[in-house]
Amino acid sequence: MRLETWSSKYPELGTHPLPTEPYISEEHFVLERERVFRRSWLQVGRVEEIPHAGDYFVRDIAICDASVLVIRGSDGVVRGFHNVCSHRSNRLVGDERGSCRGTLFCRFHNWSYSDRGELVGVPEEENFFGLDKRDHGLTTVDTGIWEGFVFVHLAPDPAETLRDYLGGVADRLDGCPFHEMKLSQTYRVEERANWKVVLDAQNEAYHLPYQHPLTLGVAFAKNDTGNCRFKEVILYDYHSFWSCDYRSFQKLTPLKIALFFGDDDAGAFRFPNMVGDLDHYLLFPNGILSLFKVGRWMGCITYTLWPSAVDRTVWEIRMHFSAPATRRERLQQEYFKCVIRDTLQEDTATHESVHAGIASRVRSHLILQDNELPIRHFHKVLDDYAGTLDAHDRPDGRNTETGR
Amino acid sequence: MNEPLLPDAFAELAPFADWALEPERARIEKKAASSMEEIRAFYDAMMLRMDEVLAYLDDDFGGDLPTAAHRLYLMSLSLVEVATLVELYKRRESIHACDPLRFVPQR
Repeated sequence: MRLETWSSKYPELGTHPLPTEPYISEEHFVLERERVFRRSWLQVGRVEEIPHAGDYFVRDIAICDASVLVIRGSDGVVRGFHNVCSHRSNRLVGDERGSCRGTLFCRFHNWSYSDRGELVGVPEEENFFGLDKRDHGLTTVDTGIWEGFVFVHLAPDPAETLRDYLGGVADRLDGCPFHEMKLSQTYRVEERANWKVVLDAQNEAYHLPYQHPLTLGVAFAKNDTGNCRFKEVILYDYHSFWSCDYRSFQKLTPLKIALFFGDDDAGAFRFPNMVGDLDHYLLFPNGILSLFKVGRWMGCITYTLWPSAVDRTVWEIRMHFSAPATRRERLQQEYFKCVIRDTLQEDTATHESVHAGIASRVRSHLILQDNELPIRHFHKVLDDYAGTLDAHDRPDGRNTETGR
Repeated sequence: MNEPLLPDAFAELAPFADWALEPERARIEKKAASSMEEIRAFYDAMMLRMDEVLAYLDDDFGGDLPTAAHRLYLMSLSLVEVATLVELYKRRESIHACDPLRFVPQR
């Protein structure tokens, strides 16, 4: 029997196939750059990465040819700047992260900036022509912080505050103890795939028993047909949420029994408001936040997808764990990390083979089932933002139907 | 006087002390360079003692682990590293995934 649970909940999304052209079209990629990545709040890191005054990290946003410097000032405020010297536009900071003692120096002509972005030093200043240093601080990038996650927005005057953009997702997750978790592991994977291929694959649970039969499959094959179905789906203006249950994040093995005393569900930590054993948030356009029930400690995983070309994407995977109370718990976290990492290596192989299949242009459309509804929703939001290829030449870049 | 490679209670694991590696990348490379037989031998030897290893590592050492105990801890991390292969995949041929070295740990 067919159960159209989620599609009936959101009938406006329809049930039609989706075109494959946007995954391989250079023209569409340009629309995504100009109308989506240049006009969205993008998650770039955690405040804990820069705990002290002068600490900074740099985030390259290749699709926009941007490099953003996020730095904590001597006043404790976290700010974002374009990583570009005001003099002759040299990249100011060359390393990916670091710490300065109150001042950043450009290596080209030694112009210097305070950790709040003010231009404070110019060699041979008197040889310039009416240069007022106050007018030439670093170019700011709008930066917002929600629950310790740092977001930047590349447009000069974002139409929406970060909070408005997060909307219902923030309502659900406000107060979630992210600050009690530490960024424990980051992986970066360069993939030969369009970023949406990667995102779609990480935005459904249908594939879990099939693509990961030996790693996660058994645990996620929950219902009587051996499939994994959503327990809940909530779609927001931009973002989406889905949840599912599992028996245990992975089947019991001798090592797992030894590490978890045989039962990782006993006294397992659950985040407030958690619906299922896996709660999955897609933060439009390129972020995913997953909360897991895994042990007595807290763990969550974030993904961000950084496109560099229509067929090239960096998949950044970050695992955040609460401080382990014992070495056993540290090894439990390592175990969870390794199983998830090895599973995601199966995903990478598939992302690339799906992209290759789409690029062969054999199928003009892809077909989605009811439990792939979040993918349909993402593409609807993307279309509303980016516009269709026909609307490409509208000078203000706005979609006439949605006003966005 | 030579310092023991591993804590006395775990001396018989000394032939596997070359699995005491950090960081993660070194453990991944060791796994990639080892035969399935070598990996199973390491896994079997560690698993025979794992309950005791875990209990031992959670003893109060009053701060950082002594060198020999730290080596045992790193071997435990290597055990975790190879566990997916031994317990879930069982054979390398059943892995359908990208090259693990493409997952580049940051920092």
